[in-house]
Amino acid sequence: MSDCCAVSKGAEQSLACGADQTPLDWFEHMIDNCLEYAQDAQASGHPIVGIMCEFTPRELILAAGALPVCLCGGSAAMVEPAERDLPTNLCPLIKSTYGYHVKRENPFLEMASLIVAETTCDGKKKMFELMAQTRPMHVLALPQKQDDAGAAEAWYGEMRRLKEALETCFHVEITPCALREAIGVMNRERRLRRDLAGLMRQENPPLTGRQLLQFKSTISGIPADLAMYKQALDELRKSTARDCLSSRVRVLLTGVPLPHEAERVLELIEDNGGLVVCQENCTGLKPILDDVPEDAPDPLRTLADYYAHLPCSVMMQNERRLQALRKLAPEYRVDCIIELVWHACLTYDVESTRVRRLAKELNLPYLRLQTDYSPADSARLAARIQALFEMTRDNAQAGHTQ
Amino acid sequence: MRYFAGVDAGSRAVKIVLLDADGVVVERGAADQGAAQVPMIDALYARMLTEHNISPQSLGGVIATGYARNLVTMADTVRTEITCHARGVRHVVTEARSIIEVGGQDSKFLRLSPRGGVTDFSMNDRCAAGSGRFLETVAQRLQCSIDELGALSAASMSPAEITSTCVVFAETEIIGLLAAGCLPADIAAGVQGAVARRVAGLTMGRVDEPVVFTGGVALVPGMASLLAREIGCPVLVAPDPQFTGALGAALLARSGANSEL
Repeated sequence: MSDCCAVSKGAEQSLACGADQTPLDWFEHMIDNCLEYAQDAQASGHPIVGIMCEFTPRELILAAGALPVCLCGGSAAMVEPAERDLPTNLCPLIKSTYGYHVKRENPFLEMASLIVAETTCDGKKKMFELMAQTRPMHVLALPQKQDDAGAAEAWYGEMRRLKEALETCFHVEITPCALREAIGVMNRERRLRRDLAGLMRQENPPLTGRQLLQFKSTISGIPADLAMYKQALDELRKSTARDCLSSRVRVLLTGVPLPHEAERVLELIEDNGGLVVCQENCTGLKPILDDVPEDAPDPLRTLADYYAHLPCSVMMQNERRLQALRKLAPEYRVDCIIELVWHACLTYDVESTRVRRLAKELNLPYLRLQTDYSPADSARLAARIQALFEMTRDNAQAGHTQ
Repeated sequence: MRYFAGVDAGSRAVKIVLLDADGVVVERGAADQGAAQVPMIDALYARMLTEHNISPQSLGGVIATGYARNLVTMADTVRTEITCHARGVRHVVTEARSIIEVGGQDSKFLRLSPRGGVTDFSMNDRCAAGSGRFLETVAQRLQCSIDELGALSAASMSPAEITSTCVVFAETEIIGLLAAGCLPADIAAGVQGAVARRVAGLTMGRVDEPVVFTGGVALVPGMASLLAREIGCPVLVAPDPQFTGALGAALLARSGANSEL
């Protein structure tokens, strides 16, 4: 643990070069920054639109002159208030999001003129039904067999209806030109975050997985955020490698997202000798692996095509996730795979069988961790993580001596 | 003479194994866990050394394991129970390919390569169903000791159906069964079957033979045969099963010291 602290200090110092405020400092205050930005934007006539999932195209919202704000709950404290209406045995992300709704404690949700939700999973769907009783909501019907004839057309129809809903709601016209511009902004953001993540491919990465996770924002397209991503990237590319990180076990973390405040499992992995070099989830690489073509004749269709193909576990067959893992594992030279599943997240839970089989095929040690936002099982999770790392190291050693 | 020690600070008991330089077991010691764990571990360790006239300076390595492993003051390093049980079991059953370990508060399933390395493992989740704690709670309710539970269930002609997967709810279920006139023997047999099913569930049908059953619960009469029935293959009980974790830790301390020479 002591070397972990040393590492973060080292990286902060390197990121501090030539700037009053380091990019890490900036994203440390991400919520405050976003709040200030949202308040200013709202005051100058830009509405706030809450989004609930990576399937929602932020580009359309930006093109309508509005701000897309992610409303996924990561706070453990918001779980209990949600249980007033929701069952105990439900995913903590859904409950925490709903807890904020009940307690009215998410300022972005309170500022939102519209919520764009989607039918990703059953738990979310039914929670949205409750939330929509008191909040303005537009729901996207997500086709769950991505490659079926008709799926692309159905999703394109959903994009058209969302465009119309935004235009009606905010009395604007979303022009192809505005849409292309928004695609450009989002591509830039995706590229910067993807390049930052790509630094983890190095033998001695210049930052930890926890620090990488810090480089994200609840509102997309904030110019100051993009500038900070760029600054971080420039500094980290120049920074000297940290030998102490090279001895860590390189982990590919896959499965459910880790919303703001729900970073506990990643911290446990890195506090126990691991380095999360690759995050194949919605708060990591999953939604930023590709760019949206910017010069297509119908940008709305391009957008529909792009978003329909996210490798989420609600999809059937979700071959794209396995293909992504197959590609990422050697690219990031991972030593093992850890799959995180939130309690009662049925789709990721069931799909973990396929990921376990893939890990076996790739000859990588695999550990599945199922938990929620409560820290009650941290010691038990730590023991499993340590055992995985002992197993990974022992097997590597045995392989060398063979 | 140099010695090596493994300290397994488990949830219900602390187990210590002392080895000599040749890897021969000098002494095994155990004590029940309490609230003041550190002085208790220290006292057990000191007593074992004194009994064999071993000075603490002649210890060539001490490894701690078990959930309280970080409280073991005399340890040079810590290893998880997974690694230690694998090492300990392979020492006593050299050909072991699967290990089922059921301890005080959790249960584990490990698969080993032909060379003895751990290839994968699974552990029970947040609750104590499928652990020694479950059997203990039931024994208390039936007013017998955990050791007597096996003998009691052996007398059962028709094991009760225990379906709760939570210890607290299972206790409620048992109270209901007792109230309905169910025999304690049938309840004891039902509970043992429930624990065996729960533990067998950890294997997810991926058992390689031979299978070794270890941990304190392996000492409870009847558990091994119930487990064998549930997983569908023979189950060997490790000799001194409550000590395989400490033994593995001591062996790792010895091989670690030897590799440094």
